[in-house]
Amino acid sequence: MKAQSFNLPRSPHYFSKLIAVSSLIFLTTPWLYAASEARSGIQIYDVYCAGCHASGVLQSPKLGDKQDWGEREKQGFEVLLTHAIKGYKNMPAKGGNPAIKDKEIENAIKYILANSGLGQYGKKPTSNKTMSKAAEKNDSVKTKPAQKPKTSSVNSFNRLMKSSAEWNLPPAEDGIHDSENGGTHMLQKPKEAFESLSSSKSGNRVDWVKALKNKEISPRYDRLSDEVKPIVMDLNIIREVKGSMPDVVYPHKQHTEWLDCSNCHPALFIPQKGANQISMASIILGQKCGVCHGKVAFPVSECRKCHSKQKPLKKAITNKQAN
Amino acid sequence: MPYSIRNNLIILIIVVSALPFTVRAEYGDVLMNNYSEEAGMRPVVFPHWFHRIRFRCKVCHADLGFKFEAGGNKINMLKIIDGEYCGACHNGEVAWAVESCDLCHSGKPGEPTQVHESTTSKLLSESNKKKAGSKQ
Repeated sequence: MKAQSFNLPRSPHYFSKLIAVSSLIFLTTPWLYAASEARSGIQIYDVYCAGCHASGVLQSPKLGDKQDWGEREKQGFEVLLTHAIKGYKNMPAKGGNPAIKDKEIENAIKYILANSGLGQYGKKPTSNKTMSKAAEKNDSVKTKPAQKPKTSSVNSFNRLMKSSAEWNLPPAEDGIHDSENGGTHMLQKPKEAFESLSSSKSGNRVDWVKALKNKEISPRYDRLSDEVKPIVMDLNIIREVKGSMPDVVYPHKQHTEWLDCSNCHPALFIPQKGANQISMASIILGQKCGVCHGKVAFPVSECRKCHSKQKPLKKAITNKQAN
Repeated sequence: MPYSIRNNLIILIIVVSALPFTVRAEYGDVLMNNYSEEAGMRPVVFPHWFHRIRFRCKVCHADLGFKFEAGGNKINMLKIIDGEYCGACHNGEVAWAVESCDLCHSGKPGEPTQVHESTTSKLLSESNKKKAGSKQ
């Protein structure tokens, strides 16, 4: 193909045309860029904020953590905005990207708050709500099926990452239920069930441990009785890891809230210090912790939920000095 | 020029077909097709999320003896009607009874037994999944 185009006879105007076109592009690009609208909150969040705020790096408040964000939001939206624009503690000014517009930072904060259970920063502006209400009132206008929420181009490009429009689909659309089966349409829709539950960034997008702790759900510990209480053991096991990752803290408490001792001991884990060889490889292959984590309990992408005990840092590599 | 359009088309087709088939099932949904399809029924979908809202893991995985392995419990309707496995609750007392066939047998025909959205089902090839086998 290339060889063909090289052999094409070029008109004498070829180069002047080329220069004209490229200079036109060159001249209009900055103008287009300046005039382009401020990007949406999710676009900014996905590209610039998620790196820290998705997982809580450097004690940053995580997306979806209502308590953390609620405390900050109490100081007022302006304070949040100023901190984000000018920087505050570990938060670099504009997340370290001075090119982001102030308006875009504002959008990103609103997006984060709206997705951290702070409802007043809802995604839809009020004008849209009144419009849709008016449409509902008007009988002659049939309301269109709800449009799928817009997702950022970054996420839709990443084929391994589901966009938010693909989370918690109703059974008939999830690809494993047969939509021609009558019963499929009678099943509960995950979104309905999850609406009131604490959210997380992975798995079902539900933080099950938090949901249980906050009594958002009250699953039975006994098949027939609501009264039987779990036998909870509060004992943390610390596993030192070889690499640079923080050590693992295994909390018996959260596990015994859900499980019986016999579920893990002795078949999966010998209840004796140093008796268990655990590696990330075996976990990813569905063994040891991977019997549940990566199938029903939060997946291995949530590194810091387990690797949570910071090793003592050497002075030379502490963050402040590095900065 | 048609030559280059055809080339682009071929590239496009290759890229699109390389995209993994997108199942967007709920995390932890277990599809069981041990015997269902052979017996002329749709495979069973077990939604973990639905059950964990209502029961702690211990009820099924300790009291009722469900192994932590998709399809590893060899459940059939006889056992269920006898009150084992699903039948411990799906008996018309705790939850709906066995008459509501199509509520459980609601999976797409031809789907293999697996835990959907699990790390292993995403990362491993079919043959390696069997080797890795996560038996309790």
